[in-house]
Amino acid sequence: MHRSTWRNKLAIGGSVLLLLLFWELGAQALDAQVILPTPGATAVSFWSIVNSKLFAVNIRATVSRALQSFLIITASGMALGMLAGYSPIIHSILKPLLVVFKATPVMSVILLAFIWFSSGTVPLFSAFLMGFPVMFIQVERGVRQISPRLSEMTRMYGFTRWMRLTHLVVPSLMPSIITGAKSSLSMVWKVVIAAEVLTVPRYGIGSRMQLSQVNLETASVLAWTLIAVLLTACGDGLFEIVLRFPSWFIKRRHARLYGLHIRSES
Amino acid sequence: MIFKEISKTYPKDDNRLVVLKDFTLSINPGSITALLGPSGCGKTTLLRLAGGLELPDGGSIEHDSSESGPTSYLFQEPRLLPWHSVLANVELVMRPLIGDKSERLKRAVDFLEIVGLADFLRFKPDELSGGMRQRVAIARAFAFPGKVMLLDEPFQGLDHSLRLSLLKAFTELWKKDRRTVLFVTHDVPEALLIADEVVCLSHRPARIIENFSIKIPQEERFLGDETLIQLQSRVYRAMPAYT
Repeated sequence: MHRSTWRNKLAIGGSVLLLLLFWELGAQALDAQVILPTPGATAVSFWSIVNSKLFAVNIRATVSRALQSFLIITASGMALGMLAGYSPIIHSILKPLLVVFKATPVMSVILLAFIWFSSGTVPLFSAFLMGFPVMFIQVERGVRQISPRLSEMTRMYGFTRWMRLTHLVVPSLMPSIITGAKSSLSMVWKVVIAAEVLTVPRYGIGSRMQLSQVNLETASVLAWTLIAVLLTACGDGLFEIVLRFPSWFIKRRHARLYGLHIRSES
Repeated sequence: MIFKEISKTYPKDDNRLVVLKDFTLSINPGSITALLGPSGCGKTTLLRLAGGLELPDGGSIEHDSSESGPTSYLFQEPRLLPWHSVLANVELVMRPLIGDKSERLKRAVDFLEIVGLADFLRFKPDELSGGMRQRVAIARAFAFPGKVMLLDEPFQGLDHSLRLSLLKAFTELWKKDRRTVLFVTHDVPEALLIADEVVCLSHRPARIIENFSIKIPQEERFLGDETLIQLQSRVYRAMPAYT
């Protein structure tokens, strides 16, 4: 096991090195920084971007847009997904809307949104339109998969609506919510940056990419791309940490509710 | 509890399936009545009607004053919430009826101790064996302060010794807190071990073929007993499905 993990790491490292080698060779063969800058030039550009005054402002703008749309998607997807899961009428009302959302190309959404809204709102709106169906469908499907036997048990034992929501519905939906949130989160980053590229708000990773491209600073485009990739990875990692919080919270609450009592009993 | 000329048909429109027709049965308050019958004869329907989960198309169900209030259930499967501990599963069902948390917890611990799970209070259902899970369900049904208890083949699919130990746990709890129990089964020995009254039902639509009263106290019964052996053969003879 240990040996194979070590081998895997070596393989990953080798693959990255190989990629960099091909990149370097390609760049040297083309000998045109505008088309393909060398990894070294990209690294220099990356370093100067990170050290620039407005780096934090740009990152904050994109992160804030992504986070806002992610929160809106999660809240609305959960609420409407649950409603549609329980009510066939709401399901039927939302179905055509969802089919349209799912089939519309991201670029059309961004372009239309740009006609309707200001450049700062477009990334939010576009990310919502793209990410919402993912969350919604997961939650709706989750509601349908709630055990009918457990449902019947809660009914027979006279659970209140609130008890059913907190002790049956939400715990049953947790896996669906987590899957939906993970997929929509990774989608949100991409859509927000794409919308920023097209609408060029004052600050944002996408805006910087667009400006670099206009100025034919290819190394800078690549460096910003690298930053976007790292940001997505950080976001996913942070999300994993956040996910541990509910189980930690439940354990603590459980210990508070039952732990002390058991100890005093014995 | 009295079932008075109960009729029930599924579904209401085409393809009518008459499950019960003018069915009448009187159950003594505070006793265990076993409904014994072939599969699909309408036993579970009777249980659902008794619990108010369904309404009869005709007739009525009358409750004794001692049976008023909520009903507890024991299903074929334990039906425990997998994300909660054993203790929380038992405590939770009492929340709508008992406001005092410490009282609920004490009651839950007491009943779990009786079914022999005092050391497993913090375990999750997935960490227990099938028999232990069903014990939790039994403790939950008794901890719930209902006056009527409905059992839908709760010991089916378990091996013989496990079944006997669960029946023992059940009768022990019942002796401490005698409720009206309606027990659906198609296992004759099971019915003979715990019921005060065994009601043999016919094929659909269910009607009563014969009623057997058992006067021996539950704790003194064992299947090798002469009286029970004779009773068992009478029940088998009475039941068309078993011969």
